[in-house]
Amino acid sequence: MKNESLNNKGTMAVLKRIWDSMGVWMICILLFIALSCASDTFFSSTNLINIVRQIAVTGIVALGATYVVLAGEIDLSQGGIVAFVGCGCAYMIVELGMNPAIAIAISILFGAVFMSLIGAVIAYLRVPSFIATLGLTYVMDGAVLLLTNSQPIPNLPSGFTAIARGYIAGVVPIAAVILLVAFIIGALALRYTSFGRNVVAVGENKQAAKLSGINVEFIKVASFAIAGACSALGGIVLAARLGSGQPSSGSDVSLMALAAVFVGGASKGSVMNTLAGTLIIGMINNGLNQIGLEAAWKSMALGLIIIVAVILDVARSRRLSK
Amino acid sequence: MSSKQEIFLRLDGISKSFPGVKALSEVCLTVKKGEIHALVGGNGAGKSTLMKILSGAYLKDAGTIFVNEKETEIGSPRVAEALGISIIYQELNLLLGLTVAENIYLGRRPKNALKMIDWKRMNADAGALLQRLGIDINPRAKVSTLSIAQQQLVEIAKAMSIDARLVIMDEPTSSLTTREIELLFALIRRLKAQGASVIFISHRMDEIFEIADRVTVMRDGCYIGDFDTKEISRNELISLMIGREMKQQFPARNVRLGEELLRVEGLSDGKKIRDVSFSLKRGEVLGFAGLVGAGRTEVMRLLFGADKKHGGKLWISGREVRIKQPAQAIKNRLGFVTEDRKSEGLVLTMPLKMNVSMVAKRKVKKRGFLNMRLEREVAEGYVRELSIVTPSVNQKAVFLSGGNQQKVVLAKWLLSDSEIMILDEPTRGIDVGAKRDIYEIINRLAGEGRAIIVVSSETEELMGVCDRIIVMSEGRITGELTRGEFSQKRITEYAVGGIE
Repeated sequence: MKNESLNNKGTMAVLKRIWDSMGVWMICILLFIALSCASDTFFSSTNLINIVRQIAVTGIVALGATYVVLAGEIDLSQGGIVAFVGCGCAYMIVELGMNPAIAIAISILFGAVFMSLIGAVIAYLRVPSFIATLGLTYVMDGAVLLLTNSQPIPNLPSGFTAIARGYIAGVVPIAAVILLVAFIIGALALRYTSFGRNVVAVGENKQAAKLSGINVEFIKVASFAIAGACSALGGIVLAARLGSGQPSSGSDVSLMALAAVFVGGASKGSVMNTLAGTLIIGMINNGLNQIGLEAAWKSMALGLIIIVAVILDVARSRRLSK
Repeated sequence: MSSKQEIFLRLDGISKSFPGVKALSEVCLTVKKGEIHALVGGNGAGKSTLMKILSGAYLKDAGTIFVNEKETEIGSPRVAEALGISIIYQELNLLLGLTVAENIYLGRRPKNALKMIDWKRMNADAGALLQRLGIDINPRAKVSTLSIAQQQLVEIAKAMSIDARLVIMDEPTSSLTTREIELLFALIRRLKAQGASVIFISHRMDEIFEIADRVTVMRDGCYIGDFDTKEISRNELISLMIGREMKQQFPARNVRLGEELLRVEGLSDGKKIRDVSFSLKRGEVLGFAGLVGAGRTEVMRLLFGADKKHGGKLWISGREVRIKQPAQAIKNRLGFVTEDRKSEGLVLTMPLKMNVSMVAKRKVKKRGFLNMRLEREVAEGYVRELSIVTPSVNQKAVFLSGGNQQKVVLAKWLLSDSEIMILDEPTRGIDVGAKRDIYEIINRLAGEGRAIIVVSSETEELMGVCDRIIVMSEGRITGELTRGEFSQKRITEYAVGGIE
């Protein structure tokens, strides 16, 4: 009897250790198994590829959000940038007849430069980022309407739409490759460069970072620049998926991306956790559709699952920090 | 005359311990009605602890409190308030966004028949109260628009509005100008005239002799004596505050001074710090003594580029340098172990090794990228060298003990090749063994030809580890002593602003 309970304790301890080290990826895997069991159609190559395509935009934007959150700020304007760049890129290609590659380069550069200006307002003029980027969201909304005259910009060339719709070797979606490459670069930069280390130091303790010779303001500006570039890339992939520049397309991207960051638990300072968070949200969205849940229920379920995921994660990190 | 006065408050044999420290040991204090009673003692003498017991913030372990000659237990701030005891802390407790009247009547705003706040009555009451106290402030003014001195007066008015019989003021003058101090003293005299008692905590001898009727001296948590201010001299008071012989707990200094490494001239911040000049040689340990708030930390922050300089020049190895940012200080081989290691020295959520490499990341890189193995090895080297006690270098800094945290901060600056090390209160809150370790490290660093600045409120510690001590008071250097001249008495004299 005693032995058994000891054994039980041993197994529990092992499970606990796995749980602690895997963290949010564990939730990700459990969710995957659960949804595969609950729905016949969820676990099929078509659907899985579909999920990856669906999460590509959120994921890329969430990567940028991760850096901003790690640096101790927040960016609510990413959705606005997604919509503006998506439409702007379509405008340059369709209306101005620009080479798509050049239009993409300009778009990403714009995202980075524009958001570093906003970052400078936040870092140097000490405007709280929540307010600065909230305000910017409305500015971008207006800019999009001016640019597009509230009409979609259709007829994007197939060479451009292939970014989101094409496949490499007929099986691997290009969007998935972009997502993965972006995350790998983002994760390596965070772990192996001084900049990455400094972002975390600034977010965790601004005073200590400053007194260690880190340029706190620059780090914040650079984080916003990264978020801007990621938002722009997200906008491009979104326009490619829709085949057009859609003025209303970016509406909930900001919050979805932030949800992915927090479900992933960015407080642990890991980019890959954000990828897990993105996958969780993507699977829930898709899986609940597959099960045949109504939109209203789906929305509520998604919200609750986000909250539960964060509760689990907070409980885990609290235990670890004891 | 004083014998005729009735006694308002009598404390008898008050003791209080905190884990590991005996903060108060059988302390006595007697305050008469209508008396201004000064309470003096060095840093850590137990004055604040005693006052917190009086105001109900702490509970005493032993002893008796008599209020109006009746034995009383002060179990909570509410009880203290009901007894008419009111305390004004160094950090003011006003709500800046509210008006003067709202602050005075916070938590007990007058209500009208509809249970709504009766603004008219509140403002009228506050106005009458301020007038009675001779304070010229509009009760409708927002507190945020007032000067610090005016805010202090509002605090006093608040204390009087609950009909305080005893007002305790913890270093009320530390942030006031001379004129503002006069204003405050006028009000204190008015309180006295109205029969209220005042306990006045101050480090400034001038003020004590100007305003106080009697003075109680405390040292190391003990009651030393109480005196009529007319019957004791300033020098006698200072020597009572110091007392005690020094114990041998410091490694022997073996000084070999090199060339001048740092020279500072006319450093100021335009506010508190005025005209601070000194120099520092290789191999030298220079101490900065002074009372809390004398401006020592501020000088170090200016030196390091953490705050904006208003004036002053710096030379390092004879070359004039401009330091506007910590990054520039670091480039000039300065290192700064701050007073508050938790909020300024470490990123607590990061592992030990990342804290060690925080400043000199370039040293743990290979081919331009951080190398995890190299970083681990470098950190492990310092763990051995400084005898840091930790299960591994992956341990988060938050889980280390105070002494080990301090060593990690030291390692951070050692890795960055700091030649001039500023240590601000390097042994605060760490145990005796770790203290001795830190002293030995200081000694060794100086021996390697670095120059060390130690800021400490423990005079003994400075006398033990330094070759030279600069004493500051109110933002200025008031004295300088070399090792042969060290004495607690002289340091304390300089620290309280010198003896005329």
